[in-house]
Amino acid sequence: MILVLIKIVILLAGLMTAAAYFVLLERRIAAWVQDRQGPNRVGIPMTKIRLLGLGQPLADGLKFIFKEEYTPAHVDRRLFILAPITILTAALGVFAVIPFGSMLPPISSLSEKPIPLIVAPGIDVGMIFVFALSSISVYGVILGGWASNSKYSFLGGLRSSAQMIAYELPLGLGILGVVLATGSLRLEEIIEVQVTSGWFALTQPLGFLVFVVAGFAEAARLPFDLPEAEQELIGGYHTEYSGIKLLLFLVAEFLHMITASFLIVILFFGGWHLPFGLTGPDEPIGWGFAVFRILVFFFKISAVILFFMLVRWSWPRFRFDQLMSLAWKVMLPLGIVHLVFVATMAELHHYYGAQWVARMGGWATWAIAGCAWIFALGALGLAAACSPIISDNRPHTET
Amino acid sequence: MGHLATPILLMILASAALGVGMLVAGTLLGPSKPGAVKEMPYESGMDPVHDARRRFDVRFHLVAIAFVIFDVELLFLYPWAVANRHVEGLDAAVADGVTHRGVVFWGVMFFLLLVVLGLVYEWLRGVLRWR
Repeated sequence: MILVLIKIVILLAGLMTAAAYFVLLERRIAAWVQDRQGPNRVGIPMTKIRLLGLGQPLADGLKFIFKEEYTPAHVDRRLFILAPITILTAALGVFAVIPFGSMLPPISSLSEKPIPLIVAPGIDVGMIFVFALSSISVYGVILGGWASNSKYSFLGGLRSSAQMIAYELPLGLGILGVVLATGSLRLEEIIEVQVTSGWFALTQPLGFLVFVVAGFAEAARLPFDLPEAEQELIGGYHTEYSGIKLLLFLVAEFLHMITASFLIVILFFGGWHLPFGLTGPDEPIGWGFAVFRILVFFFKISAVILFFMLVRWSWPRFRFDQLMSLAWKVMLPLGIVHLVFVATMAELHHYYGAQWVARMGGWATWAIAGCAWIFALGALGLAAACSPIISDNRPHTET
Repeated sequence: MGHLATPILLMILASAALGVGMLVAGTLLGPSKPGAVKEMPYESGMDPVHDARRRFDVRFHLVAIAFVIFDVELLFLYPWAVANRHVEGLDAAVADGVTHRGVVFWGVMFFLLLVVLGLVYEWLRGVLRWR
């Protein structure tokens, strides 16, 4: 019990700190892309030491706390306060089933068994739980938009809830292929399977693509950041929020991105293992390997987060009708097609897998990955060829 | 230690407590200066007209309904996806003579066909059309 509490405290503190410092990183990257300096001033107070602006997140947090905590009179008070708490709880609670490292060797004062670095180990429905909680965050958005009683908030809430529920379908479909190939919803097990089967980003490129696009949309990152399209909706569903309640919304949004990065790394990039079987589950449990795995894991996650941030400054925002078309008319069919492909391959593998491996030897995985890539490119090409019907960019004429 | 899911409950409670704690801290530490202008909803500097909760496009409602249908349909696929490779899953059932692999595979394909038919119907009815 005490162990669980320690893990929860470490995880929550780590996530909040990570969110704060990734905001700083994002601002520095934004500055780098736009050829300016970015926040590089705040260091140790009372001295002239700047530390590359590492004090900035701390200063921002303090400032948020010391700002006025204001609830306007025109809002629905209870829902208005409930909304940010809901969205933050959902965003943080997801991490109960997401591992943040492999096994630690037993620490005598805490436990005799090796310590898995996950708050709730042994939950068989891990992925379903992640989905369930990330659906809850839609409530935060729509409650915030509705309770604010302001037109911008209302429109923003409607638009973001429509976006988030629309992209939850491709998100689920992208994962189904992985679940089919691993036969498990536990994230630790999915990582272990990828040691032998190869990273799913390579063997299931279409599912990876669908999942990443849906992940961007769920996290409301830039090509899909319509929830807070500043030029159109001021602040979207959190227009009326200020002070610490706004901070909760912003942190939750950043946590969604971190969650998406965790899931992308775990499901498609082999978690804490190096590729090509360089490291595997057979290693003894010890401090060295534990730390090494955590380093590999966090390196991958940082790389994915960096990708998220670079994408933010590389693509313009979608229009809302294009966004919904992409979800329902491109990503959903692609997801279903991918699922059919993976199911067929799994079925063929069951009947002919042994002969196939016997004939191809070590190349079997590569051959399967090649098939998957050809199929993915074909499906994408087909979608692109159909694009005049799917994403008609011309103004619609009334029929 | 209790139930397997106790840590999840603790995690959710801790997250909620963190949120509430930050709100309380903000309330206690921040200044309080109410004003008439602060009470107004933000509308780019104009005085607001009408209540904000007005009628909205029915399409949002349609999307919500379509989502519920498709999401439940997808949830039906998860047990199959897990059982297909799991040690105690489909292979065990086949060995016990409960079912055949082919029945399950083509059953799921038929189910997916129904899902696709639903999507096509929706598409042709113009539910997915935004203008």
